[in-house]
Amino acid sequence: MVTGKDSSADDEELRAVMAAYQRGELRAFDELYRQLAAPLRGYLGSFVRDRSRTADLVQETFLQLHRSRRAYRPDLPVRPWVFAIARNVALMDRRTRARRPQGDGELPELPVPAAAAALGDRQALSSALHSLDDERREAVLLHHVWGFSFAEVAQLLGVTIAAAKLRSSRGMADLRGALTTGPSPPITNRGRQ
Amino acid sequence: MSELEIPPAALRDAIAHDIIPVRPLAAPHIRVLWLTPIALVLVILAPAAFSVRPDVARLGWVLSWGASLFETLLGLAIIAAALRESVPGTLVSSRAISLIAAIATASVVTITVLTWRVSPTPLMDRGPGVVWRVCVAGTFSSALPALAVSLALVRRAFPLRPALAGALCGLGAGFLADAGWRMFCHFTDPAHVFGAHLLAIAAAGVAGASLGRRRR
Repeated sequence: MVTGKDSSADDEELRAVMAAYQRGELRAFDELYRQLAAPLRGYLGSFVRDRSRTADLVQETFLQLHRSRRAYRPDLPVRPWVFAIARNVALMDRRTRARRPQGDGELPELPVPAAAAALGDRQALSSALHSLDDERREAVLLHHVWGFSFAEVAQLLGVTIAAAKLRSSRGMADLRGALTTGPSPPITNRGRQ
Repeated sequence: MSELEIPPAALRDAIAHDIIPVRPLAAPHIRVLWLTPIALVLVILAPAAFSVRPDVARLGWVLSWGASLFETLLGLAIIAAALRESVPGTLVSSRAISLIAAIATASVVTITVLTWRVSPTPLMDRGPGVVWRVCVAGTFSSALPALAVSLALVRRAFPLRPALAGALCGLGAGFLADAGWRMFCHFTDPAHVFGAHLLAIAAAGVAGASLGRRRR
C-alpha cells in the first residue's frame, strides 16, 4: 500500500460518526471500524515486529476506544484521538512483551509515504521503514502517510511541534539513506529526541 | 469492502452488549470550573478556622489576598492542564510541563522573597518543629479534597499517562491549599516557606502521581 498524504477532509464525517457512536448507535461503530481499521492496522504494524499481533492490537484499540468514547470531545478531530489510543495500546503491549521472550513472527508490511514511493519497490520501502528509529518512523508515518499536521503529531506524541518536525525530517532522511545504502540495524530509542 | 473493514463478530458482540449513550466531556477550561467552589473554600478555610495572619496590613492586599488569589488561579490552571493531558490526542508536551514547573517554582520564590522583604518573620525560638509539622500537615491535608475531585475528573476521561496527569492534579491541588494556608501562617522565613509549604505542595504532587497511576 503506497499511501499519499491524506488531508483531514473526511474528519468532519468522522466527527458525525463519532457523535452518533456517543449517542449509542451501533452502526456508527461499524462505520468507525470501516474507516479506521485499515489505517490503524498500518500504524500498529509499525510498533510490532509480528504481523499476527497487529490484528489483536487493532481489536484491543477498538475496545479501548469504546471504553473511552466519553472522553472524545466533538470539537476535536477524531483521528488523532483514535491514533493516540492505538499508540497507548501498542506501548502497553510492547511493555508487556518486553518481559517475555518473543517469537520470530513475520514483519508486518508498512504503508509507504508517497514522498518516498519513487525511491524503491514496496517491499524495500517497508523493510527500510522497519529499520528506522521507532520515534522517527512513527513521526514519518503519522505525517507523511496519514496526513496529520505537525501540531497534531506533537499533541499525539506529547512533544513540541519542533520536535515532531525534527523527527519526521530526520526519519525521511534516514529512509532515503537506508534505501540508497541498504537498511542499517534499528537504532534504540534511548536518549533520542 | 475488504474483510479488514468488517469488525470481527466477537468484537462487535462485545460492543453491542455494552453500547449505551454517553455524554461527551466538556473542554478542560470548563471542566475545571467544578473545582472553583473547593478552591474558594480552601482560600478562606484556614484563616476563618484559625486566624488571618497578623501582618496582613503590612503586606497590603497584593501580597496577602492577591498572592493567594494568584496561587488559586495557578492551581486551577495546572489542574486544567491535567484535564487536557487526560484526553487522548491532546497530550501536554514535555516543554509545556517544564514551563508549568518553572512558573510554579518562580511564583513561590517571588512571593516568598517579596513577603520576606516587606514583613520578615523568622521562626526564631517559636518551636520550628511544631510550626513545620502544622504547616506541612495542614497544607497537605487541605489539598486532599481538591486532589480527589480533580483525579475523579481525570478518570472520567482517558489518561494515557495517568501518573503525569495525577502529578499535575496534585500540584494544582497543593497550590489551591497553600493559597489559604499562607493566609494563616505568617512565618515568612524562606527556609520555612520552602521547607514546609513548598514541600507540602510537592508531596501533594507525588501523592497525585501515585494515586493517578493506581487508578488505571
